[in-house]
Amino acid sequence: MTRFQSTSPHRDESPIDLERIRQKFPNWFQRFLPSGGGSHEDHHGKGMFGFTVFLLSESIVFFSFFLTYAALRLNTPDWLPPGISGPEPTTFVMINTVILLSSSVVIQLAERALSRHHHSRFRGLWLLTSLMGTYFLIGQGIEWSNLNFGLRTGLVGATFYILTGFHGLHVVAGVILQVIMLLRSFDRNNYNHGHFGVSATTLFWHFVDIIWVILFSLLYLW
Amino acid sequence: MPQLLEYILLTVFIAGLIFVSHWLGQQAYTWMPAQATAEAQRVDDLFSFLVAIGAFILLGLVGMMLYSVLFFRAKPDDYSEGHPARGSAKLEILWTVAPVLLVAWIAFQNINIYEQLNILGLQQIVQLPFGMAPATAAIAPPQQSPETAQTTPKPAAETVQVIAKQWNWLFRYPNGVTAQELHLPVNESTRLDLKAEDVLHGFYIPEFRLRQDAVPGRNIALVVTPIREGKYRLQDAEFSGTYFALMQADVYVESRPAYEQWLTTVAQQPQAFRNTATLEQQHPPQTLFKTSWYPGSSDPASIAASFADSFKPKDDRS
Amino acid sequence: MTHSSNNTAIDDSDRRSPDYPLPDWRQYLRFSQDHKVIGVQYMVTTFLFFLIGGLLAMLIRGELITPELNLVDRPLYNALFTLHGTVMIFLWIIPFNAGLANYLVPLMLGAKDMAFPLLNAIAFWIIPPAGILLMSSFFLPNGPAQTGWWSYPPISLQFPAGQPINGQLFWIVSLILLGISSIMGAVNFLTTIVWFRAPGMTFFRMPILVWSVLSAQLLQLINLPSLTGALILLMFDLSFGTNIFKPREGGDPILYQHLFWFYSHPAVYIMALPAFGIFAEVLPAFARNPLFGYRSLAIASLGIALVSIFVWAHHMFASATPDWMRIMFVVTSMLVAVPTGVKAFGWTATIWRGKLHLDTPMLFAMGGAAMFLFGGITGVMLASNSFDLHVNNTYFVVGHFHYIVFNTITMAIFAAIYFWFPKITGRMYTEGWGKLHFWLTFVGANLTFFPMHPLGLQGMVRRVASYPPEYQDWNVIASLGGFLLGVSILPFIANMIGSVLDGPRATNNPWEATGLEWTTTSPPPRENFAEIPQVIFPPYNYGNPRAYGEEPLTQTGEEVSNDENDE
Repeated sequence: MTRFQSTSPHRDESPIDLERIRQKFPNWFQRFLPSGGGSHEDHHGKGMFGFTVFLLSESIVFFSFFLTYAALRLNTPDWLPPGISGPEPTTFVMINTVILLSSSVVIQLAERALSRHHHSRFRGLWLLTSLMGTYFLIGQGIEWSNLNFGLRTGLVGATFYILTGFHGLHVVAGVILQVIMLLRSFDRNNYNHGHFGVSATTLFWHFVDIIWVILFSLLYLW
Repeated sequence: MPQLLEYILLTVFIAGLIFVSHWLGQQAYTWMPAQATAEAQRVDDLFSFLVAIGAFILLGLVGMMLYSVLFFRAKPDDYSEGHPARGSAKLEILWTVAPVLLVAWIAFQNINIYEQLNILGLQQIVQLPFGMAPATAAIAPPQQSPETAQTTPKPAAETVQVIAKQWNWLFRYPNGVTAQELHLPVNESTRLDLKAEDVLHGFYIPEFRLRQDAVPGRNIALVVTPIREGKYRLQDAEFSGTYFALMQADVYVESRPAYEQWLTTVAQQPQAFRNTATLEQQHPPQTLFKTSWYPGSSDPASIAASFADSFKPKDDRS
Repeated sequence: MTHSSNNTAIDDSDRRSPDYPLPDWRQYLRFSQDHKVIGVQYMVTTFLFFLIGGLLAMLIRGELITPELNLVDRPLYNALFTLHGTVMIFLWIIPFNAGLANYLVPLMLGAKDMAFPLLNAIAFWIIPPAGILLMSSFFLPNGPAQTGWWSYPPISLQFPAGQPINGQLFWIVSLILLGISSIMGAVNFLTTIVWFRAPGMTFFRMPILVWSVLSAQLLQLINLPSLTGALILLMFDLSFGTNIFKPREGGDPILYQHLFWFYSHPAVYIMALPAFGIFAEVLPAFARNPLFGYRSLAIASLGIALVSIFVWAHHMFASATPDWMRIMFVVTSMLVAVPTGVKAFGWTATIWRGKLHLDTPMLFAMGGAAMFLFGGITGVMLASNSFDLHVNNTYFVVGHFHYIVFNTITMAIFAAIYFWFPKITGRMYTEGWGKLHFWLTFVGANLTFFPMHPLGLQGMVRRVASYPPEYQDWNVIASLGGFLLGVSILPFIANMIGSVLDGPRATNNPWEATGLEWTTTSPPPRENFAEIPQVIFPPYNYGNPRAYGEEPLTQTGEEVSNDENDE
């Protein structure tokens, strides 16, 4: 026993009893709330907490881009240089968007399948997600090559390519993560300690989709 | 009566603090350069106020620390507790509320003085990028914008264009004269239209207590009212590249007749253009460490030519 | 409850560390996942960068001893102050604090390690290459970045003219890498503090240093991405021909200033908060008083972090910012003084009526706290925009922030090094050399940075390699002080190296300080504690000698009074 051990119950000096409040929430939410200490062994919980924190931080890079875009656009009277139509929400782009957004549903279903130990169903849905992601990337490539402006075409070009490119990099990262998780799912002992990797990839994929919704509204609909 | 003694000591300490900080506040005026504008007096008043308050807090707390060091020393092996207080709700609330009131007071004083300065006169609508054709720049006339209504500069007798360009200051006067010296009539308001040609520059004359950046593509106006004749130095105060330190100009505040006299003289006999950066390039000072990191296009002739360009009369951009 | 006999912390006879073999030095060169090894790696690496940054500062002060140019030419001077600022901020203070926190936070929380040891190691190993990349730009044909650590466009876009590989690009890439490392660290710290507290280590039992690290790392997470965004955009403007910050092509250079300062002002608090935390650990230990107003100091840490998110535009009072923005940021900037004041009052009250032991850590902590008051007060002055317009970009500002980053933060760092040196190395340093180091540093720092205030009031602009002769007197004093600071580091280095190799063995708790880190051996074993500790005491429990191991617990381990209700 260490010196710091005692039979007396330890009291929380905080004005409110955080631990009791915490226990009122459902289990999945509790992992995001501060505990009274002693939760070392929850690997999935700490992993998801850390990853969520990271994504929130990452979203601020995007927000700094969004704000830059908005500020530039509001202060520039002739946003589109002569002869340039700017990005337009064509049917092609709309289909691309719908595919990406619906892949969020698919990946959620896949994760649920895994939690219920339906491994083959999980693999199928998971593969479908990454195919949808890949489709989106190819679609973006086609969209880029069809536009009548480039990176150096004024502010509209610079912001469009930097914003969509930075988002595209995240989609690439998401697809790579999905492929890794798919390969690892064939390892017999992979899920002995929970499926943090799959949950994190799912969360990441939702993040990429939410960013796309904002990006799409700013670039195509404004 | 040790208790009474403590209170007396405390009173003496605070009285001493008030005296010393008041004295420092008065001294603060002498730490500043000469007051060449009406605004300078107000800024110095604010500074004096800040010094007095700051000195009171600094000397008070450091005094307590020094007192502790002198009188609350432990014997070398005495690791027992000093005193058991872990906090005091009253004290803690007091020293949260007191700073709130104090900074509110300081902020109020500052904003009050800032209102009187009214130096900004920044026309926010003038974000007119260089490459833009006037036809496409659908800019509302200044008087129609509510925002400008508030920030319209004070009325001014004269308007001088200040052009900042690596690494020279140029001044264009109402009669079309361009010179490298800034001349201002004393006791009159002069409006300075700051323009930067290439990068950010900072318009700063210490005796005027006013500093404002010039931003390429924006027109920024600054109204100054010098009240003291003399020669001052304008220094670029926003880092602008290799020869940043050399980007200075002489400022003369003089009587109206002398000012008119100078304008007519220069109109007849333009001053020779002098580029300190180019001069230093031709005769680099001897330094222990030398590099070859000077920016490109250092051909002195071409730089001089581009500056000479600025001397030709041009239409006002605004 | 009985105590097992293998507990080294119980009775006086074995409070001395057993003859622990000193850790193998080679592990510090390896990719280790032990938070203590990583912490030491951070601290030693960043100290080397501190020496480099200091050398650059010596050259700057050498040039400024005379008004004319005679030591370095203008591009070199511009490169010197650019890299001095960048190295000191991004390669010294911020990563040093990360290293110190890396070492201490798990120990203070009673955890075995950080939450993500692998991520921790990767975060550290990004730093040496990023730093070397930055310094290597000295060998580029056009030299390193020369536009100040702000690198405001358009000047930062102008300088590398025509060179695709240039110092400015190296600067940007290096900073992006360091930013990624910081974010990894921040995620790790936040998770560790929220998840890895030992049983009983509730939030309001955490030491203030942990609170400050928590606040600082929250700021990293919220604000740093803005700098990364700005740097990415700047890189596109610089290398790929876009025009986002180019005013002549429709871009807006002021936007960069907003994005930059949105991070770089809170960066000051990211650097300062851990220093405040160090004061809160060292002052009670050497005044033998509980930290006064523990709870208000903990909340003040978060308060500083919160307010400092909304103060960035006070760096832009002279930029083309509108009136309403200036007024708003005057008010928010002033508000930072409130939680900061709470901290300063708390420290003073902690010392008051204590039993002071003026050992080296205490000297550095008290010196740092006193000089922080000076820097804080000039800070409030600068927040008053009417006055700021006079001294903006003058040496007054340089003096102010050096009083913060050197006279406060670096002093606090030295206090921390001396304070935890016995814990980290298992050896004691030499007290006399430590005191010499303190006095040289204290005198040198004031000689160097105080003269900058009158210079700034008189109107000497920062970043000039040559200056009008009337400013020379104060500059000579500042330069001599600067050289004294350079000398002051020598006894420190000698003391550290000598004591690590041949210092007397340290006991587990040489300062009789409270805190979980003092209950384990010096140096701590691989997983820090023989058993996960149970925390029953409030922090800074100097009233109860058992909290720092003075007397063993009673046979039953029952608490008689743990002073939780003393307020």
